[in-house]
Amino acid sequence: MAYLALAIVAGLAAVERKGFLQAMLSRPVALAPIAGWAMGDLRAGLLLAAPLELLWLGAVNLGASLPAHEALATVAITGGAVLSARALGTAVTADVALLSIVVCAPMALVGRTADRRVERWNDRLADRAEAELAAGHPRTAARTNLRGLALPFAVAAVLAPLGAAVAAAVVPAVVHALPSAAAPLRLGFLAFAALACATGARALRVRSAPGWFFAAFAGALALGLATRGVLS
Amino acid sequence: MQNLGFAFAIDPALRRLYPDRAERLEALRRHLGFFNCHPYMASAIVGGAIHHEERVAAGLEPRDGPLHYKSTLQGPLAALGDAFFWTALRPFAGALAAAGALLVGWPAIAVAVVLYNAVHLTLRAGLFQAGYAGGDAVVARIGALNLQGLADRLRAGGAALCGVAAAAVVLSAERAAGLAGAILAAVSAVVGYLVLARGAGLVPITYAAVIAAVSAAAVVLHLGGGG
Repeated sequence: MAYLALAIVAGLAAVERKGFLQAMLSRPVALAPIAGWAMGDLRAGLLLAAPLELLWLGAVNLGASLPAHEALATVAITGGAVLSARALGTAVTADVALLSIVVCAPMALVGRTADRRVERWNDRLADRAEAELAAGHPRTAARTNLRGLALPFAVAAVLAPLGAAVAAAVVPAVVHALPSAAAPLRLGFLAFAALACATGARALRVRSAPGWFFAAFAGALALGLATRGVLS
Repeated sequence: MQNLGFAFAIDPALRRLYPDRAERLEALRRHLGFFNCHPYMASAIVGGAIHHEERVAAGLEPRDGPLHYKSTLQGPLAALGDAFFWTALRPFAGALAAAGALLVGWPAIAVAVVLYNAVHLTLRAGLFQAGYAGGDAVVARIGALNLQGLADRLRAGGAALCGVAAAAVVLSAERAAGLAGAILAAVSAVVGYLVLARGAGLVPITYAAVIAAVSAAAVVLHLGGGG
C-alpha cells in the first residue's frame, strides 16, 4: 500500500511538474510533506522539505535544457526515509533522513535521463496528431496532447518506489551495522541542510546575491543568538 | 510537444470561429506547427492568437496572421518567462517556504505556495486577457510590468532568505551539539557557497560535504564524549 501511494504521488508530481498546472506542488518543499502524508508520516516530509527545496532551488527547465528531476528524487527520498524508519521501528530521525538522501539523491539524475527519453518518445505524438487531422478528426488531433502526460506519470510511478525500496533495504542495514554513526549522521544532516542553503543562494543569479546571502546569514544568526529561545 | 498543447488550448476557440469543418481543420493544422514558449507566458500568445484568428475568420487579415504573431512573440516571451518565473519568482517562493518551514513550520509552506500561485495565476489570466483584447499591443503591456527589474529584486530577496535559512540551521546545530555543531554547520554553508561559486558541481560537492561533515562530527563527538 505504501509503495502504491508513493507511485501515485510520484506520477502526479511528474505530470504537475511539466505538463499540467505547474503550481509548485511538485517542488520538494510541497512534495516532501505530501509524500510523507500519503505514507502516514507528515513529520518526515516536513523534516526533508526545506533542505531538499534549497538543494534543488536551481532545478529549472530553461529552454531545451533538462534539469535534475527533483520531484522524482524527493518522493524516493521521503519514501525511503519513512520505510527505513518503519523497518527500524523508530520515527524518521535526521540520521535516517541523511542516509536516505545519500542513497536516493542520484534518482534526480536517473529521472533527468528518463525525461530526455520521454521527450523523444512524445515527439512522435505530433505525427499522430497530423495523421488524425489528415483523417478528418480534429477533436482527436487536439486531444493527442493528453497522451503525452501518460509516460512521465508511468516513469516516475515506477522509479520513485524503486528508489525508496533500495533505501529501505540499505539504510536499516547501515544503521544496524554502524550504531555509533547515528550521532555524527544526525549532525551531518544539519551540515547538509546548511550546504543546501548555500546551494539555494547560488541558484539565484544576481550580482548582489552573495552580499545578501552572507549579510542575512550573519544578521539572522546574531539575532537568533541574541534572542535565543525566541526563534526556536 | 508544446505545439500539441497549443492546439489543445486553442481548439475550443477554433470550433466557435470556424463552423465549417474544412476551415477548422485548416486552422488547427496552422497551430500544429512548431511552438515553444514559457508555459505561463504562452497565455499571452494563446489570447493573441485567438484575437488574430477572429480577424482571419472575419476576413480582416490573411490566414498566416496568427502564425506571424506566434513566431514573433514566442522567443522573446520564452526568455522573459524563464528569467522572471523560473529563475526569480519560483526560487524566491521556494526560499520563502523553506526558510519559513525552518522557523515556523508547515504554515509557511502553505502561505508561500498560495502566494506564488496567486501571483502567477493572476498574471496568466491578465496576459491572456491582454493578448486577446489587444493582439500585438500585449507587448507594450508586458513591457510596462518591468518584470526584469522585479526579477532582480526577487533574486536578491531569495538569496537573503537562503541566508536566514542557513542561520536557522546553524542555530539548530548549536542546540543539537553545542558550539562545535554550530561551527560545523556554519562552515558547511560558507565553504559550500564559496566552492560552488568557483564552479564545483552540485552532486560531487554534496557528497563530499556529507562525508566531510559526518567525519568531522564523529571526531568532534568522540573528543567531546558525546558519540
